[in-house]
Amino acid sequence: MSGLWPVFKRELFAFFVTPLAWVQIFVFCLVQGMHFYLLIDHFSAQTEVAGDQTPLQTFFGNTVLLYLVLFLLIPPMTMRLFAEERRTGTIETLMTAPVSTPAVVLGKYLAALTVYIVMWAPTVVYLVILRRTGVVDWHVAAASYLGVLLVGAGYLSIGTLMSAITRSQFLALLGTAFVLLVLFILGVGEFVTAAGTTLHDVCAHVSVWAQMNDFASGIVDTRRLVYDATLILLPLFVTVRTVDAWRWG
Amino acid sequence: MISVSRLVKHYGPHVAVDDVSFRVEKGQVVGFLGPNGAGKSTTLRILSGFLGMTSGKVEICGHDIQNESIEARSKVGYMPEAVPLYPEMRVAEYLTFRAELKGVARARRRAQVDDAMDKASVFDVANTLIGNLSKGYRQRVGIADALVANPPLLILDEPTAGLDPNQIRQVRELIAGLAAEHTVLLSTHILSEVEQSCDRVILIAKGKLLAEGTTAEIQKMRRTAALEVIVRGDAQVALRALRAIQGIAKVNEQAAKDDVATLRAVWAKKLPDADIQSTIETAVGALVAAGLRVREVKTVGSSLEDVFAELTREDEDAEAS
Repeated sequence: MSGLWPVFKRELFAFFVTPLAWVQIFVFCLVQGMHFYLLIDHFSAQTEVAGDQTPLQTFFGNTVLLYLVLFLLIPPMTMRLFAEERRTGTIETLMTAPVSTPAVVLGKYLAALTVYIVMWAPTVVYLVILRRTGVVDWHVAAASYLGVLLVGAGYLSIGTLMSAITRSQFLALLGTAFVLLVLFILGVGEFVTAAGTTLHDVCAHVSVWAQMNDFASGIVDTRRLVYDATLILLPLFVTVRTVDAWRWG
Repeated sequence: MISVSRLVKHYGPHVAVDDVSFRVEKGQVVGFLGPNGAGKSTTLRILSGFLGMTSGKVEICGHDIQNESIEARSKVGYMPEAVPLYPEMRVAEYLTFRAELKGVARARRRAQVDDAMDKASVFDVANTLIGNLSKGYRQRVGIADALVANPPLLILDEPTAGLDPNQIRQVRELIAGLAAEHTVLLSTHILSEVEQSCDRVILIAKGKLLAEGTTAEIQKMRRTAALEVIVRGDAQVALRALRAIQGIAKVNEQAAKDDVATLRAVWAKKLPDADIQSTIETAVGALVAAGLRVREVKTVGSSLEDVFAELTREDEDAEAS
């Protein structure tokens, strides 16, 4: 894994030295802030709140807003990773240094994941706000953040692959958005298809929405974890093979 | 240091490198010479581990570039032709990143970055954004990058391309200074560049190895090709006078203005080098005797293209016989 740490640091540097990461974090905080405000506004009008319908659970599960933000923000986070280096030719100096391909891929991926975590970090304030006015189930909070982390990690992994298979950042952006959307729509299939059919089971298995509903209720299912691990590891593995394949082009 | 045997590289149906074998020994400065599109960059990219080969074997310091790629790459400081750099980084930041990437230990990193910046004379731009550097400085940052891990072997792809004459001289001096500690393989399409900076030359054209030898041996191929004279008087008389001389294969009129003509007399292929001087004397004498006023006489060197044309022709002759 020689080269992982310097590649990670440089990539993180590139994120924060350009306005991109700051714009993303700003947009994310703005949208989530509005989201949270509307939720609180809604719940403050209720006299009774069900135990499985708390503001926290509604914030992470039962909502489409979360995915809309991710569909908009994940593709630009990963589009640069490889496409930019191939366009400017810096991939040549990078890959002729004594570094292993998995280290380069992981370094870049982890940098994007770090930005994603930094992006979510301010939302912890919402928990503090909720805590001051009521009760926060910390298990549910932890499960929710785990869900958000795993979903994001899978999406970023897909984005990393898309950036490796095209020289154009724009195509990488479109490709990532397209795949994420297709995955989401497949998940929605769970509510459309009849229960008991194979299609229904497949849709239910890949449904990110159902997964977030589970995690937001504090249910961490191993099947979900396996699916997330597949979503993270498979694209990264293909990325490594793709980067190695450039040598033979 | 470098051992290349029977290297072949195809890009689809196009053969970029065709059965090339050569060796580079320790301590040499070797010029990799060829016209544009000869396969120079492709070969260097394979040597640096960036591209794979279709067939053949490449060893860098005893490490196979395919099976022991990381070990082989750690012995090489490679500068690609376009000198790709990250525009958003400062020079010192970039070199520190490169040093870390190349596995320079933290304790020595600062010293080696300073050393590389010193050798490549980029100290004065250490805190400048790379995106704001001039072409000459970018080139030197590229060389500093190749140097930063202090590798035994430097592979520089067209290190003087796109520079002005002053910068070319600086880069040449820099390379001459590096020769003491490093083995250098540099590519170029300029013959005079090889003559000035290299001990040995490898000539390549259309993916094939044409010749390999010391610079002096290659220089011999570059004897003067023709005589150029500017005369005042009747150009037709001058042409006849020159054509009558033994040792001149053909004469043609290059330019004419009023009664001043520029003529070019090409030496016969069989004319020995030793006879060139006396043929020049004969030619000038004949022109004066024919009543022409000679204004200027100079020999015209053969360009790299001529050398290549010559070498490829010899190849074809050999194949034909």
